[in-house]
Amino acid sequence: MRIMQVEKTLVSTNRIKNLGLRPLLVVRDKPNGTPLVAVDAVGCIPGDWVICVGSSAARESAGSKDYPSDLTIVGIIDYWDKDQKG
Amino acid sequence: MEIMQVQEDLVCTRSVKQLEGISLRVMKDLKGKVWCASDPVGVGIGKWVVTASGSAARWAMPSYDSATDLTIVGIIDQWEWPEPKR
Repeated sequence: MRIMQVEKTLVSTNRIKNLGLRPLLVVRDKPNGTPLVAVDAVGCIPGDWVICVGSSAARESAGSKDYPSDLTIVGIIDYWDKDQKG
Repeated sequence: MEIMQVQEDLVCTRSVKQLEGISLRVMKDLKGKVWCASDPVGVGIGKWVVTASGSAARWAMPSYDSATDLTIVGIIDQWEWPEPKR
């Protein structure tokens, strides 16, 4: 699983139906890292450090077995100091 | 899920049965790497989109047995890249 920081909400009005109403968030592993998009299953605010999961676990935690997500936020970290050596 | 930009359409007359009737797009990701993605949404050239990879890409297609591992799941309303200096 990956430890990433939520940057902002990603608005995508025109999208496939089975994505449903789940919010999409832009997440990065370090401030100037490449942004990725994760489905928010716990309700985060920008700036939170979160745990993201991939592959089939991402689908299960985002809703159902056939939910089209390959990266889902499954937890908000209580304390994480960002320059910790990963 | 990644953020990518649609470069152009891709025509593939001879393909396996599981890829017939699927519209394909040439994509470029944030690092400049070129991919081919299947497109159930119908996206214009130059648009920034969100893509799902792996088996989530098959769940994003109308039928699960389509032979894809990268599918466009939504068009981003507003995205600028390379990002403005903060």
